Amino acid sequence: MYSVELDNIVKRFGNVAAVDNVSLKIRENEFFSLLGPSGCGKTTTLRIIAGLEEPDSGVVRLHGQDVTDVPTHKRNIGMVFQHLALFPHMNVFENVAFGLKMRKVPKNEIKDRVKAILEVVDLSGMEARRINQLSGGQQQRVALARALVTEPSVLLLDEPLGALDLKIRQHMMVELKNIQRRVGTTFIYVTHDQTEAMTMSDRIAIMKDGRLQQVGTPTEVYFKPMSAFVASFIGEAINLIRGRIQDGILTTQDLGQPILVNHGENSSEAYLAVRPEIISIDNELEGLDNILDGIVRDVIFKGSYIEYRVEVGPRVFVVHQHSRALMQRNFTVGERVKIGWRRNEGAIIPSSGV
Amino acid sequence: MKKTNLFLMIFTVFVFIFLYAPMVIMVIFSFNEAKSLGVFTAFSLKWYEKIFTNTEVWVALYNSVWVGAVVTAVSIVLGMMMALAVTRFSFVGKPILDALILIPIIIPEITEALSLLVMYVFLNIPLGPLTVIIGHAAFDVAFVTVVLRARMAGYDRTVEEAARTLGANELQTFFRITLPVMYPAILAAGLLAFTLSFDDLIKTLFTTGPGFKTLPLIVWSSAARGGVSPDLNALSTFAISISLLFAVFRIRAEKKMRGV
Repeated sequence: MYSVELDNIVKRFGNVAAVDNVSLKIRENEFFSLLGPSGCGKTTTLRIIAGLEEPDSGVVRLHGQDVTDVPTHKRNIGMVFQHLALFPHMNVFENVAFGLKMRKVPKNEIKDRVKAILEVVDLSGMEARRINQLSGGQQQRVALARALVTEPSVLLLDEPLGALDLKIRQHMMVELKNIQRRVGTTFIYVTHDQTEAMTMSDRIAIMKDGRLQQVGTPTEVYFKPMSAFVASFIGEAINLIRGRIQDGILTTQDLGQPILVNHGENSSEAYLAVRPEIISIDNELEGLDNILDGIVRDVIFKGSYIEYRVEVGPRVFVVHQHSRALMQRNFTVGERVKIGWRRNEGAIIPSSGV
Repeated sequence: MKKTNLFLMIFTVFVFIFLYAPMVIMVIFSFNEAKSLGVFTAFSLKWYEKIFTNTEVWVALYNSVWVGAVVTAVSIVLGMMMALAVTRFSFVGKPILDALILIPIIIPEITEALSLLVMYVFLNIPLGPLTVIIGHAAFDVAFVTVVLRARMAGYDRTVEEAARTLGANELQTFFRITLPVMYPAILAAGLLAFTLSFDDLIKTLFTTGPGFKTLPLIVWSSAARGGVSPDLNALSTFAISISLLFAVFRIRAEKKMRGV
């Protein structure tokens, strides 16, 4: 059974379709991210799952049950808001206990469960603290504990790390993933930050203009993008070569030579997407399916890797090489080099994704 | 720079003298032994003794307090609904309503008082405590609404959504989240409404019926009858103290309101 199912959800605000015919199946205990630029409809999708927004059409199911018309407070979900929305007039204990109180859980049990969940989020002994006495990271964890203590069937998180600074954010990413594993609940995480999505998710759904672009594991969406948008949105850089495919060969006007690809279908218009770290660079290259001659135009040292911009005809290829290679050889601007990759390491974006 | 500071200081002192000298003089002479307002002969509490043994004063104080309490309750409930309406919903004529709220605050009180009286006479409503309360509340609602509206405008409603995701229905959300978060603002607005009602003379004067007197009313009527006398000073000082007390409470509530 799926934890959350969305069938053909549509939500319009005026003339704009914030969510445009989105269908999703999210598995039990999955860490699932909705990723996209601001205004792509990811938050609206999350709010529809929570019942805070009503879809114009479509069906929402939680654990197989149609909840489209069930109000938020009866859905047994947990939610962590972007600005946390902690109750300012309550202390940590009262905040966390709120959901249990609403469920009329006996007082003793509330005490025990609050204590237990505060241990999980590493806030033991903080019960009596007021919200404004806590640091950003601690407030974050209170919000998480408050949403988790009722043991919701699904936890919805709306960019909860957005307000934190980089160091705490990186720490919280690992922390969140650990907590998810410990409590064993489905997490649905909304973010515009691909690092967050990549770091924590089992699967990612990438959205743009209210539509789903691609759903897949982090490695799938990274190495096998199915649209030009996903290819350029995910990752730091990608080489996109546009051309036509005939019998496993891509021809393009930019490059003087045909490029070998792994793609059975013929297509008059398609993209070949090659990640920079897939491409080898050297003075001499052998044994690769595609080898091109080029001239180094830029060398940028980025710490753990080096970025080369290599001019091939009218095109510039971005190539990343592990810094370790610097120990042996480094290429300088103006130097003639060869770059190459295996045909099965590039991804073809079908014409539907162009 | 130093010169400007000195000038500013002197100026400030003059403003304060201008503001408070009349009151200070009144308070001082309420403790004067002699009946004269010209010279302070000796310290005495006899004027206070005189007013506190006067049952009319006690009845008036009692009237002022219970009228103020009813007015406060009515203004809070109506003002809260009004503030909720203009901050949360959009409806036809909302900008007009938004502006209309301010009118009772800007028109002269004597006009308000007269219009109330005209209305009561027109509708043939007998004058008495009820007409006083309606008169006070009708205008205090405006002040309460303005205070609450300001607080609500800066209020992040996602706390209510958070409550709903945690299993609270609309009613539970209102009583456990919205109301407690608004509480300092409600307290500040309520104290303002009470002070306004407690201090009011003109509207009370126009709308009260025979025999029903509030504290400001007996101060005014005895001043009108016998001119300024030391027992009147004592009575006014007493009335000021009560207002001052509420003002202090209000300022503390407002501080708390800004703190949240």
